[in-house]
Amino acid sequence: MGLRWYHFAAWGAFILGLMALPELVSKGTLRTIIFANYLAIFAISWDLLSGRTGYISFGHPFLIGIGAYTSAILTKRFGFDVELAIPIAVVVTMLGGLVVLLPALRIKGSYFALVTLAFMELMYQLVQVIRPDLTGGTRGMSGIQTLTRGAVNGFYLSSVLMVIVAIAAWLLMRTRLGTALTAVGLNESAVEGSGLSTTKLKMVAFLASAFVAGLGGAFYVHYLGSIAPRALFDINFVFTIIVAVLIGGASTIIGPIIGAFFLTFLLEYLRPWLPGAERYFIYGGIALLLYMYQPKGIYYMLQSGWARLKGSTS
Amino acid sequence: MTAALEVTNLVKTFGGLTATNDLSFALEPGESVGLIGPNGAGKTTVFSQIMGELRQTSGSIKLFGTDIGLLSMPERIRRGVSRTYQVPRPFADLSVLENIRVGFMPNSVWGMVVGRPNVEQERDLALEVGFNEADLEKPASDLSMGDLRKLELARTLATGAKVLLLDEVFAGLTVGEITQISALIQKLRSQGITMLMVSHDLPALDPLVDRVIAIERGSMIAKGSFAEVIANEEVRASYLGVSA
Amino acid sequence: MIQILIQGLLLSGLYALIAVGFTLIFSVGRILNLAYGAYLMLGGYMYFWISQSMGMPKLFGVVMALALGVALGILKYQLIVKTLRGDHVAVEISTLILAVVLQAGVVLVFGDSSKILLPIIPGVVYIAGVPVTYNILAATLASWVILGGLYLFIKNTHTGRAMQAVSMDTKGAAISGIVPDHINMITWAISGGLGALGGVFFASYTQLAPSMWVAPLIISVAVVIVGGIGSIIGTLIVAHIVGFMEVSVVSLLSPELRGVFTMLLIILVLVMRPQGLFGREEL
Repeated sequence: MGLRWYHFAAWGAFILGLMALPELVSKGTLRTIIFANYLAIFAISWDLLSGRTGYISFGHPFLIGIGAYTSAILTKRFGFDVELAIPIAVVVTMLGGLVVLLPALRIKGSYFALVTLAFMELMYQLVQVIRPDLTGGTRGMSGIQTLTRGAVNGFYLSSVLMVIVAIAAWLLMRTRLGTALTAVGLNESAVEGSGLSTTKLKMVAFLASAFVAGLGGAFYVHYLGSIAPRALFDINFVFTIIVAVLIGGASTIIGPIIGAFFLTFLLEYLRPWLPGAERYFIYGGIALLLYMYQPKGIYYMLQSGWARLKGSTS
Repeated sequence: MTAALEVTNLVKTFGGLTATNDLSFALEPGESVGLIGPNGAGKTTVFSQIMGELRQTSGSIKLFGTDIGLLSMPERIRRGVSRTYQVPRPFADLSVLENIRVGFMPNSVWGMVVGRPNVEQERDLALEVGFNEADLEKPASDLSMGDLRKLELARTLATGAKVLLLDEVFAGLTVGEITQISALIQKLRSQGITMLMVSHDLPALDPLVDRVIAIERGSMIAKGSFAEVIANEEVRASYLGVSA
Repeated sequence: MIQILIQGLLLSGLYALIAVGFTLIFSVGRILNLAYGAYLMLGGYMYFWISQSMGMPKLFGVVMALALGVALGILKYQLIVKTLRGDHVAVEISTLILAVVLQAGVVLVFGDSSKILLPIIPGVVYIAGVPVTYNILAATLASWVILGGLYLFIKNTHTGRAMQAVSMDTKGAAISGIVPDHINMITWAISGGLGALGGVFFASYTQLAPSMWVAPLIISVAVVIVGGIGSIIGTLIVAHIVGFMEVSVVSLLSPELRGVFTMLLIILVLVMRPQGLFGREEL
């Protein structure tokens, strides 16, 4: 895998920095970081599938929602222990997503994007209509068990989760699987022409993505303590996730994290001036311009900046 | 001896158009055979059917005696037949080494995750097809056409191909690059790889093949040594459109 | 029963109008315009602003909406599609961002709440005992007229045939002397106009709200997937299938299940026949 000392050093520094934060910043900032952490997890999930293989999913909240609702229903309606509910939620997310999206993977890129969008809409409607006694219908559920109390503990939990997910995904993508998935995104038929089954590869990317989405969704609902379909299955949420990945840098692991933090803090700063949906106007405008100028994202800009620095000193 | 590649009564129709018309031929292991014909004769269509990119309308395709007609393309490649394309299909953002790496990969997710890339093997193959050390880390998008063809050949060989279908491998190359690729093909020939080559560049093709098959409009119109086929009246007419 | 028939017919006409604009772009340019629904939203709001807020004649409002749609289509093409030069993934994402930005923009100007649009033509008529607002009737009739005109345009005019050519093979069309750029621009203009018009009618059928662009997009998506690309007739037929299905579900089962069956239909078609019912072989 080619792990060098500076990999360990970088991750180590990152973790240490993160853990030291509660001493340095206010509770309010900590809460913002919690959101950024969860967004980073969702962003990594999206990137594992769409960033790598180019199969753009516009319905990721669909997967996140399955994880969230499953865990919420199991703990609140059936009294499951959270330690059991969350793993079950993850498995259900993977299965549910597989059963439903597998036919969609057979078709080419653009159709896939449309279909995932349709599935998110479907989920939104189903959740309100099928067994509202379980799902809480249009209004959703509240009073769901929370795992932590207070900003600091919430921060630690979300950070630990995010770091574990990030490192695991990072390690996985450094294997030949990562190369193969990137190749699928670059030229799918050439991958078939190299003797590899792209259906299998896409399925793995999808399962990995669903795993993280389900995990993130389950933990998220146990942080919020409530869940509502309107906020969850919303195109703005899709937008937030995708833009976080793109701004940060797709097909990396660091990129989605950078993007998630950048985005969350930007939205927070805009809040006093533009509460509500208008923030997206400015933010979306910036995102659009940034994306069209440098589609590879901040991570790429940092990398090429670093390379240029190294080049000029040698 | 079992033929390396045996095509029997191959037919492919697209609606009213017959692209491949009852074509039959066999390649012995280690043979190098040229496939020539004018534009639209159906040469690439034959390749596509052998590889499984197109499903044949009827007829059989056997690789080392086994019928591969119903297998998917990756499965056929796993069994030892592979092709290059007139327009190379590299992984643009990946380096030369990484491109070759994809060719070496096992078709198993577990294998991909657990096993490490064999960089030595990748390097050796890259150098063998003619790359320099300096080229290995270059992204494929930086390569010249000649280098792209070498890369495609390398990746194809990495899959363990024993039967190679080469589609217009000389197209778009400089004279120097043609010499390089020809030398490479001779080397592969000496290693016993069976080859079927499509090319419009007849002079370049000549020294590389044991014999030649000529097709026109999906049917075989001549076969034999290079010299025989080139001199054939029907073949000349098909290329020139008039009686030569 | 008669009610289902009539309502289905009416709704299908509207859906056909909405879907055609989307299909056109996808067929001719192979581009996925996720901001297509935004044409509808903006068309509806423009009409609302001109006719209700400013009190000008309704026809003027419709015309302005149309103009806005056309202008937006052309702008989008020039600024986004051409700049991205056929990178499909980038266009998909950019149009999504654009759609969200436009939605936010509308919220900025008009506020978040949904508004009821006064009917374009007030009054109700009874057809075979079923109450039908003149509004819906007008919308559907207008849809049919527009679609008929579009069909004739595509089949019989030079430009229309050029559009067909580009949709089949851009390079081949270019070699034949057609300028794909012009054709694409015209297509985007038509698409924008159709979308905006559809939006005016759609808004009067349901409600005007900033988030109203998602539902029509999904419907158009359904029509594209189920119908396949490449024929207006196919789009028409599928729009009717979807329209009737929705009306039947609402009347016979429950109003909340309205969209669910459409989604299920999409899944079914994807599994059984990925190129759509009327699509061409390749995807």
